Amino acid sequence: MPLENVILTTENCRYCLMCRHVCPVGHVTRRESLTPHGWALMIASVGRGLLAWDEETVQALYSCSDCGTCRAHCVTDQPLPEAIAAARADVAARDLAPAVVYETHRALKEWGNPYEQQSPAPVEGQGEVALFVGDEARYLWPDALEAALKLLKAVGVEPVLIGVGRNNGYLASSLGFPSTARDLAGETLSELEATGATRLLVLGPGDFFTFSQLYDERLGIEWPSGVVLEEVVTFLAERLREGALAFRKAADGTPCAYVDPTHSVRVTTRYDAPRALLEAVLPAPARELFWRRERAHPCGNVALQFTEPHIARHLTYSRLADAAGVGARLVVTEDAGSLSHLARHAERFGLRVQGLYELLADHLA
Amino acid sequence: MKRALFQAEMIRSELEEIVGPAFISVEESDKLVYSTDWSWMPQMWLDRGRPLRTPDYIVHPASAEEISEIMEIANKYRIPVVPWGGGSGTQGGALPIFGGILVDTKRLDKIIEIDEKSLTVTAQAGIIGTQLEWALNEKGLTLPHYPASANCATLGGYLAPRGTGTISTKYGKAEDLVLSMEVVLPTGEIIHTPPVPQHASGPDFFRLFLGAEGTFGIITEATMQVDYLPEARLLRAVLFDDLHNALEAGRLMMTRRLDPFVIRLYDPASTLTRVRKILGYDFDGAYMVLGFDGDPDIAALQEQKAMEICARLGARDLGREPGEAWWAHRYDFYYPPQNLKLPWMYGTTETVTTYDRIEAVYYAEKKAVEEGFADWNVRFIGHFSHWFHWGVMLYSRFIIEEPPADAREALRLHNRVWNAAMQAVMANGGMINEHHGVGLKLARYMRRQYGSAWPFLLRLKRMIDPNGIMNPGKVGFGF
Repeated sequence: MPLENVILTTENCRYCLMCRHVCPVGHVTRRESLTPHGWALMIASVGRGLLAWDEETVQALYSCSDCGTCRAHCVTDQPLPEAIAAARADVAARDLAPAVVYETHRALKEWGNPYEQQSPAPVEGQGEVALFVGDEARYLWPDALEAALKLLKAVGVEPVLIGVGRNNGYLASSLGFPSTARDLAGETLSELEATGATRLLVLGPGDFFTFSQLYDERLGIEWPSGVVLEEVVTFLAERLREGALAFRKAADGTPCAYVDPTHSVRVTTRYDAPRALLEAVLPAPARELFWRRERAHPCGNVALQFTEPHIARHLTYSRLADAAGVGARLVVTEDAGSLSHLARHAERFGLRVQGLYELLADHLA
Repeated sequence: MKRALFQAEMIRSELEEIVGPAFISVEESDKLVYSTDWSWMPQMWLDRGRPLRTPDYIVHPASAEEISEIMEIANKYRIPVVPWGGGSGTQGGALPIFGGILVDTKRLDKIIEIDEKSLTVTAQAGIIGTQLEWALNEKGLTLPHYPASANCATLGGYLAPRGTGTISTKYGKAEDLVLSMEVVLPTGEIIHTPPVPQHASGPDFFRLFLGAEGTFGIITEATMQVDYLPEARLLRAVLFDDLHNALEAGRLMMTRRLDPFVIRLYDPASTLTRVRKILGYDFDGAYMVLGFDGDPDIAALQEQKAMEICARLGARDLGREPGEAWWAHRYDFYYPPQNLKLPWMYGTTETVTTYDRIEAVYYAEKKAVEEGFADWNVRFIGHFSHWFHWGVMLYSRFIIEEPPADAREALRLHNRVWNAAMQAVMANGGMINEHHGVGLKLARYMRRQYGSAWPFLLRLKRMIDPNGIMNPGKVGFGF
């Protein structure tokens, strides 16, 4: 994002309070400085010499979850998350970011992911449909991938896997390393091109947002014009609606809540699809969280898990508390990163976690 | 110097013991963010690269008991306590102008009970308005207080300055919706007002805390009246050639008790500028939005009667679309870049008075601002948005697009325009404010506004807050 756009955005947002009610970090920390207007005012105040980037202010800058909820609720679509990512890039380039930021960046550069010291798996084969796996589904919750493939096979789709073990570029962008994000994006797009696919399926809204919006807005990368991007959930929900996919009802009547995964607010057309799929399987309707659909908060699987792990943990706690509060004993979602973070802490809220794809695959008719 | 630092650390340590280390901050970024609210003066000051007085400590208590303990420390060391809800005030009411302990109430965000029989909600005062509203909506209910600040203001912030929302014309101001409150007094006592407001069991002391803007204590919990979400909301717009007939139409609707939930009347200048810019309508005249809600049959009949009044007074029926569009986009006026924002100079010099005086107040204020500051190409716009049986509120604003670059000069000019507006308002029988509160900005007019009653208010303040710790400098107290 060019510097002049960062300035324009932070000047607009620094005294605007209209999205504070939806900011998840503000919600869990209650600190005015850790809200959209707080970050914007901080960046603007550094520009005016009222603050300097030091350990304390940089820590605050890296406390935004980059979840997009503020922008999703902005009537005038102010790209504040993009401006914050750009401010982080400035800080990171001046060696002022926290050490953990550089450590995570090194892992992304060397291995393409922050979780395992393992290079992405090579692409095998060609086909009309490809599926981006990414790093979270590869290393944090591989069952989601396996189940999604089973479901796709049930409707006659056997996609070529790409990006197996590679971050989609979001994390590098969010931490302030657009150049590395571009490299990761370039590798993924090269793989996509090599498959000859005209449709790319993704496992969750984080990938969808990154490919459809972040590449263009933050990295200046144009999405290949001949390739349709679609989430697996929306693809499956459409097959269900057409009658090409059918499920058996689950016998287990444990009260269940659906958790809209991290970045859901950035893909506003997706909310009904997972609910339609769940309805086909569950014996009773899934319970709805308070923070759902267009106001869904993220779990901890954002850059905060590295920079401010206690805030990331509280974001996850908040989702689980929300589910427990509506009487659920089981939470379901499809995004591998969200699943892994929910599962780490579910027990303390008396909850179990189940992947949506696994639940569906287990009940294929 | 060393002694001051020693004492500062002593106080910090004691506060930390109350709220816990995670809920106190002395960090510079926090201090800067809490040094300004939504008022023009501090924002302009920061905008020009000048630092503001910051709080010495920012604390986030989780209970009335913790606030009570904070009061004890503040009294012991004689340091100010500044309550902070959403920081969305426009009058500087939450500015820590003397430093001290800033008490952010947003951890007090629990909904304690929703009583679906009596139609009340009891909630802690730090809950953000929209979050409370969403929770009520899940049960088919609504707190009928819809201020533009709902996304950031807290329940306590609705009450402390006597706020008004978009649909107040039918449902009342925030103060009309409150049944009871829990308040932590400056002396640390936690008190509860009687459970219902309408009774004959002694004086109505609980209203002392409404409009006190935190100078008499901190509201920590409130029970509010709620309503069912209306079955129907009928919106419509009309256009008057002149303001006089439009005001008369509004008066007739109110005095004949047609019960509109909204009458939004924009003066011709606002219609030409703000309405055109935000809603895209090219109307020439005074644009009025009318709304009726509740039972669809009753609402339709009320609307029909209102339209008959408008027609008799020469209004043109614009149909539903310009009314419904206003309702759908009523808060768009407050989003950047279409809101009033820096580097412009602006002020909302709103007022309220009776129907017999409202036109005089409007024209006197308009003249004082436009003629007094013509050299600055000032613009004066207004709308009439909160109607009562006896009168109406004028939401008047001035805008100077090219104010002085120097912060001190800008501040002085801002004060001069405000002063001209307020003098004109008071000379014609208007109140210095209807719903934004007094804060810092209007504190200097309180003596004149209250006249012989002002010493009584001062005595009350001294009795309630003997050490003068609560939000000093606001509402005319504590200088």
